[in-house]
Amino acid sequence: MMTPRIFGIDLGTTNSLIAVMDGAQPRVISEPGTGNPLLPSVVALTPEGAVYVGHDAIELEPHFGRTPDGQVFARGLSGGTAAVVIRSVKRYVGLGGSDLAPEDRRRYAFADLSRPVVRFNVGARTYTPPQISAEILRSLKQRAETAAGETVERVVITVPAYFNDGQRQATKDAGRLAGLEVVRLVNEPTAASLAYGLQHNAEGKVAVYDLGGGTFDISLLNIKGGVFEVLATNGDTHLGGDDIDRVVVDWLLSDTSPEFRADHHVWNSARRAAEDAKKRLSDTNVAEVRLELGQRHIVKALTRDEFERMAEPLVKRTMECCRRALADAHLQPTEIDQVVLVGGSTRTPLVRRRIGELFKREPLCSLDPDQVVALGAAVQAGVLMGTQTDMLLLDVVPLSLGIETMGGVMERLIHRNTTIPTSTTERFTTAVDNQTHVDVHVLQGERELAQDCRSLARFKLGPIGPQPAGLPRIEVTFLIDANGILNVTARDQLTGREHSVDVKPSYGLTDDEIERMLEESIDLGETDIAQRLLINARNEALQLMTALAKQLKDYGELIEPEERQRVEDAAARLDSARIGEDRELIGRLVEELNELTTPFAERIMNYAIRRALEKKSIEELS
Amino acid sequence: MLQCPSCARRQEPRLLCSGCGAPLAADLDLFVALGLPRLLQIDVAELESAYHYLGRRTHPDRFASGSPELRDASLRATALVTRAYRTLRDPVSRGLYWLELHGHKLAENNKQVPADLAELVFEVQEQLSELRNARNQEGSGASQGMIELIAKRASLQGLIDELYAELVENFAGFDKGGGPEPDQLFAELKAILSKIAYLRTLLRDVDHELDSDRTE
Repeated sequence: MMTPRIFGIDLGTTNSLIAVMDGAQPRVISEPGTGNPLLPSVVALTPEGAVYVGHDAIELEPHFGRTPDGQVFARGLSGGTAAVVIRSVKRYVGLGGSDLAPEDRRRYAFADLSRPVVRFNVGARTYTPPQISAEILRSLKQRAETAAGETVERVVITVPAYFNDGQRQATKDAGRLAGLEVVRLVNEPTAASLAYGLQHNAEGKVAVYDLGGGTFDISLLNIKGGVFEVLATNGDTHLGGDDIDRVVVDWLLSDTSPEFRADHHVWNSARRAAEDAKKRLSDTNVAEVRLELGQRHIVKALTRDEFERMAEPLVKRTMECCRRALADAHLQPTEIDQVVLVGGSTRTPLVRRRIGELFKREPLCSLDPDQVVALGAAVQAGVLMGTQTDMLLLDVVPLSLGIETMGGVMERLIHRNTTIPTSTTERFTTAVDNQTHVDVHVLQGERELAQDCRSLARFKLGPIGPQPAGLPRIEVTFLIDANGILNVTARDQLTGREHSVDVKPSYGLTDDEIERMLEESIDLGETDIAQRLLINARNEALQLMTALAKQLKDYGELIEPEERQRVEDAAARLDSARIGEDRELIGRLVEELNELTTPFAERIMNYAIRRALEKKSIEELS
Repeated sequence: MLQCPSCARRQEPRLLCSGCGAPLAADLDLFVALGLPRLLQIDVAELESAYHYLGRRTHPDRFASGSPELRDASLRATALVTRAYRTLRDPVSRGLYWLELHGHKLAENNKQVPADLAELVFEVQEQLSELRNARNQEGSGASQGMIELIAKRASLQGLIDELYAELVENFAGFDKGGGPEPDQLFAELKAILSKIAYLRTLLRDVDHELDSDRTE
């Protein structure tokens, strides 16, 4: 029997992808039907427990849209059935309630901020970021299974190189919740270098500049004879294209009241317009932004100069990271042989210009910056399957790891940019007679004081038999595995006995919590599918009825009173069925109403075409 | 005796199984781990190729589908060769490790100022505190202090480079070892290493101060 293939997943802030090795080359698996390689990392959750991922979720996001005949209307359901639409969930992975900014709390409703894991409120339910990421992973799994005709069980998932231990652990948890075995986490810039390395047989010193939707990484590698050795990495896990959009949104809405800006329809519409303007400014010098927000219209012109002034501080922060990475690697910018661009935000001309100025060379972007990380994840999957035996990847830990010592000082045990896997051993003893436990607080970060570093975990060594102070000798091994995740083991030096180490993560889910979530999702599995289908049918009914009501209002003169009566009766029947649980009845009535309104819809279409033609001929006359 | 997690052969602790070549979870001397003699003089290219050769044989990437015991052994063996490579690549950490192997561990908190560095250290500390004061008063003295500190940084780096060269030159002599007074050799090596270690700490403090200016 053949062992199942390992797939590579880029779980991005804005878009996610799945790829696999096709013979000797990696290939991204597109959505069957549409052929779209990208799955928007957007998840909509309804109070009833239905989940939508990707474009379906975007449809449910409150915003102002336009009908085919140009009418502005408010999209996204509202009221009792309103879905909570979560974008950029990656920004919340590995965070505790206390990490949230006021900005986050304005956009989403969170439960109990004192807990070590962020929880989104959706009606009476709550969802943690790993659960939401798991929905994206499930959707990718499904896509690959449909397209490839084989089950997807084992995966490589990419993470930002600068992700800390908690963020990595949470990503692994997401995989587990999606029913996947995460064979390896790979750093995104390193994955990109693998894809480039395979394509170009690259050798020498390579800088990978990865500016995604929500995170920034810079990694410096030395590639030599199939060995990909990361020399240094730096970054910011809360810096990306999202932040540039946000600055543009602030500018767009600068003349409006805080209440107006807080409205979800307004904010989301402005965000979409900002993103669109940003993209257009990559090719043009000025972009006109038209925002039609219900009653209020905003029209502004954004020049590339002005846009660059707004984006400059963010780009500057990425350059600081580059300089720090270069210093850590003891390299001058000019010693870099190749600069590789990754992430959609590197399409911005300002970013390319600043990179060119720093490294004094044109960056390389022969692979699609949106796809290169997923391709690299597939290459790493090939390495793990044993089909790419010539490559060896030596990655590093991005942040120093240490413990809290007397006086709240951080003592570094493993320095940042140490090649992984790596381990270090530390000896602990007791401070008072007959002490039964020793408390250890593990930290990650570069600051001198424990309170300024990220708390990773706490654990107790023991129980220790009654002995005078200073006599017990417990040897603790801190091992960072190839995923960049910490494992702790302890041994009594005198007895040689292994100590149990009960590590309590400071942020993140415990094993018990994950087990419970898994059980719940299995229990809900069956009802979930029925529930989802019912909700789909209800939504379809609602969309149809909303459209019909509008058409009856706008084109009332195109329908005879008798026909109108028949249509309205059918709509009323559908409306009462919509509240019930009978999915098939809803489906039948939707079909009936569709059929009944077809002649009316055709008349509207003809009318619209006639009017357009008339308008055109008048324009031609004048 | 260690048992191979792959072919179950029992053997003396070593990096790779003598039977099937699988990684073993052995606790080895860093020179032994990389198959090198316990000498201070190391050919860096040879060190690197040994590391890459062994890294390919131990790395967890190769054992992703192995048993939990084999995966664990692979993780530990790779952590060991990586630590060996990093420690031995740098002449200073190599020297410190060599001393430790010979039972002359340098005190962990190297707080004692080496006598012939006292004056220099005092000067730098003075400059650092003056700069901090100037910053707190938000006067114009800060930029002058920065310029002086950058100059001082260069001379510190120069001194470290000199000591480095001296260290590497003496490695051959230390390797011959023994001689009439081996303790004299240990003391010399210790002195030069603690000087470099001290200067590096000082350099880091200077860099920290210079860096804090940039981020503000």
